[in-house]
Amino acid sequence: MRVSGAVLFGFALAAIAAYAVYTALRWPPKAALFPLTMGIPLLVLAVAQTVVELRDPPAEPEAGAAWRGAVVVFAWMGAFIALVLIAGFPIAVPVFVFSYLFMESRERWGLSMVLAAAAWGAFHLLFERLLHFPFEDGLIRSWF
Amino acid sequence: MLDALIQGLSLVLQWNAFSLMLVGMALGFVVGLLPGIGGAATLALMLPFVFKMSPVEAFAFLLGMHSVAATTGDITSILFGVPGEGLSAATVVDGHPMAKQGEAGRALGAALMSSLVGALIGAAALAVSIPIVRPLVLTFGSPELFMITVMGIACITSLSGLGTRAQMKGFAMGFLGLLLATIGQERQSGVLRFDFGFIYLWEGLDLIPVLVGIFAIPEIIDLATRGTAIAGNAPAAKLGAGVWQGIRDTFRHFWLVVRCSMVGVFVGILPGAGGGVAQWMAYAHAVQSAKDAADRSRFGNGDVRGVLGPGAANNSKEGGDLIPTIAFGVPGSGAMAILLGAFLIMGLHPGPDMLTKHLAVTYSMVWTLVIANVITVLVCLATLPYLARITRVRGGLIIPFLLLLVFIGSYTANRQIADLFVTLGFGALGYLMVRFGWPRAPLVLGFVLGKLAETYLFISMARYGYAWLTQPLVLVLMALTAAVIVLPYLQERRTRAR
Repeated sequence: MRVSGAVLFGFALAAIAAYAVYTALRWPPKAALFPLTMGIPLLVLAVAQTVVELRDPPAEPEAGAAWRGAVVVFAWMGAFIALVLIAGFPIAVPVFVFSYLFMESRERWGLSMVLAAAAWGAFHLLFERLLHFPFEDGLIRSWF
Repeated sequence: MLDALIQGLSLVLQWNAFSLMLVGMALGFVVGLLPGIGGAATLALMLPFVFKMSPVEAFAFLLGMHSVAATTGDITSILFGVPGEGLSAATVVDGHPMAKQGEAGRALGAALMSSLVGALIGAAALAVSIPIVRPLVLTFGSPELFMITVMGIACITSLSGLGTRAQMKGFAMGFLGLLLATIGQERQSGVLRFDFGFIYLWEGLDLIPVLVGIFAIPEIIDLATRGTAIAGNAPAAKLGAGVWQGIRDTFRHFWLVVRCSMVGVFVGILPGAGGGVAQWMAYAHAVQSAKDAADRSRFGNGDVRGVLGPGAANNSKEGGDLIPTIAFGVPGSGAMAILLGAFLIMGLHPGPDMLTKHLAVTYSMVWTLVIANVITVLVCLATLPYLARITRVRGGLIIPFLLLLVFIGSYTANRQIADLFVTLGFGALGYLMVRFGWPRAPLVLGFVLGKLAETYLFISMARYGYAWLTQPLVLVLMALTAAVIVLPYLQERRTRAR
């Protein structure tokens, strides 16, 4: 018996369903009806699936490189959200594009600059000039 | 009626109305490519600009923009796996795998041509059905609408793949989607469900960050990991050459396109159902139309029928949507609710007046849908070979722009920073689902239909008690739902028996 990623995923799903059912049991019937109707079969199916995968584990694809790739992309996405929170979208957009192209994709700095400027231009033209779409200011702007 | 039809055409072709329609189309083309800020949001943003326009000009501008946004949403769905509109997510399932196999041109050609056929059928339905739609809409009360959502949920069997294990996973994901739809304040009792103390969750999760996270982020990770272009090493000549093949595919599977268009019109007519439901139901219908289990297993791996069905429904539902909006002032979707605002700004009152006194204005809307879609498809077809070449650009150059598309799209849906975190969270979930072989389509279908199903169920119970279960149309819909569930199993057994 091997505890693979697939088994852990099934187990996590079962845990979510169990939590949903447990929480819904404390609500009035009207509010609890739908979550219980969906949560109980989900719990049963997730447990059954976990047991099936423990007994007869499916072949899992090669992990190393794929996980590393995923972690890198998630780190960049986290960095972009942090940039938005700190500096706001109008600044985060060109900074992120330049940083990703220059540091992650190893593009030449000139090309990275040009593409970052193009991204900012498109963003500014469409959202700020054409649509007048209000974006939240980052923390930096709210300090000044 | 014929006079009004011709008068409607001449009104749209007048210089002012026509040029405003072109401006609206250009705007719709751009915003259609962005997830989040889709047709409905753009309609809302553009509403203040129509005050000085005549009714025909205003509707040419707004409807031209809205119908084009629905068409171009398919482009990013196919090329990058990023749903350009919440409504175009079903196109990702088979369209993006086609792009990865070097068939972006064929997928785009098929999506656009089926969109055009769908739009024309939707417009024809609008033109023909206005006088006769009243009894149909009035026949569908909450119990019947509830059963239709249940029938939609039953489509999970078709979206889950073959075999017991795949079906179990599909149903589990469907139930998870339905459970996610219960997040937020329960409308009858006011109880806050699964809000974890966040005010943001009181309204429930929004569709766009969930969709974009689940579908787009795993594709971006895949692109980063492969280190190649989207189309890998597919020969460059294959990319653009497939456009005509995609167009031919539309006519090779013409009846499927017509049936899926009818699904779109029907769902569009139903109040509150929305385009997302239409697309997924059309996709499920395309899967169900497979000849046998082996044929069905091609869906999800780049089958052109998986592009044709949602493409057709996506645009035909626009015509369907307009029917109850014009005839009764009952909007079929969020976008139509905003359009209703335009009616009031113009001093028009939806209802009998639109079918008598202002019939020419009503038919000008039909013509706007037709003309805007024809122009869009012609322009897109001319540029498709170039668009398809984007799939040959190396991944490292495209990824930051795709990430911008994903996060700006998620944010613009509601202007909530928390949506960025939701996108990230569902991106992680989507990635794990792909990695461990859990299907994503049933989760989305459950999520889209969950809220509707709960609302209609409670109204039915409050209004009729359990007596609604015995209403004739409900019984018919129950039988159809059972057929939807059983059909794939029968197909599988028949294939095994052979």
